[in-house]
Amino acid sequence: MNNINDELLNKYLDDELNREEKDLVKISIESSLEVKKRYETLLKAHNLFNSVEEESTSIDFTKLVMKKLNAKSVIARQQKYFLLSVLSMLGLIILCFVGYAFYQVISSMQPIQSSEIVTNYSQNFGNYFSNLFGQKNLTIFGSVLSFIMLISGYFLYDYQKNSKKYFSH
Amino acid sequence: MIMKNLTDVEIIESVKKGNQADYAVLIDRYKNKAFTMLKRMLKNDFEAEEILMDCFLKAYNNLNTFKFESKFSTWFYRIVYNSALTKLSSAKRKIENDMSSVDDLHFLQSSYNADDLVKEDLSILVKKIVNELPAKNAAVITMFYLEEMSTEEISEVLQISVANVKVILYRSRNLLREIIEKRNLFQEVI
Repeated sequence: MNNINDELLNKYLDDELNREEKDLVKISIESSLEVKKRYETLLKAHNLFNSVEEESTSIDFTKLVMKKLNAKSVIARQQKYFLLSVLSMLGLIILCFVGYAFYQVISSMQPIQSSEIVTNYSQNFGNYFSNLFGQKNLTIFGSVLSFIMLISGYFLYDYQKNSKKYFSH
Repeated sequence: MIMKNLTDVEIIESVKKGNQADYAVLIDRYKNKAFTMLKRMLKNDFEAEEILMDCFLKAYNNLNTFKFESKFSTWFYRIVYNSALTKLSSAKRKIENDMSSVDDLHFLQSSYNADDLVKEDLSILVKKIVNELPAKNAAVITMFYLEEMSTEEISEVLQISVANVKVILYRSRNLLREIIEKRNLFQEVI
């Protein structure tokens, strides 16, 4: 009977023994008072663990989590719109430059034969862009772009800061 | 009311389709059990609730990576358990090794043998013992008894072998049994 150790009793309790082992433990419990007491106390411990009730969170816990989730979605949406607007602005600026370049090239053209038009257009267009992004103009263009990026960066940082504030406790 | 009858999988699919509000059903379903586990592991109400909130946000953000290969509960409890461990380690608290040392439980056992505790209400005593178990034992006991998870599922959450889960479970059970025996609480329990 002394072979019935705690592990076997635990396994018997969890119904994890094979038929032979189960019978052995059952007989031991029925024939030995010591084993019976050990098993019954173990069973009580098992029942006591089972009876411990769950703890409860604060009443508004779910609301609070959902509020944070909603806030996060709003911030994510705002960031998306912000990035889209910055990209649109950059696109618009580039489009303006290209449009202006075309206007300059077209207005400087002499009426010539159609076969030479394509060659001249591309040549003039290339020349115009070489001048446009020449040393002097490139500095101005770079400054404007840097300024836009600086402003965008600041607003992006501000959004990130706000989102952190929402999610910090 | 109807949402409450849906399975976890159905709710997750609904949330993935954009019905964010349905996530509240999942929160209501798991918040108390997960909170109990965190409270027992961290031994602190406020920290437990704070970490639980993070866990729900983390789970929501990673819902797209949940492939339904395991139960949502197993996946979610893994997030909860790992977050608790991170919190414990960041607070430089002691994290028990893969196998809790026997000494830890013996220490706990001796602290509940004092005569002045004999008159204490048994349910309160058991709650106290559970709350003072080492983090891993507390997690196993909570998942096994409260969440009614199998040892296989618990091993998946804790990333340890099933045999180790059983050792932790048996040790915790034996601890309570020995306390009952030593304090002659057997009759009271019956």
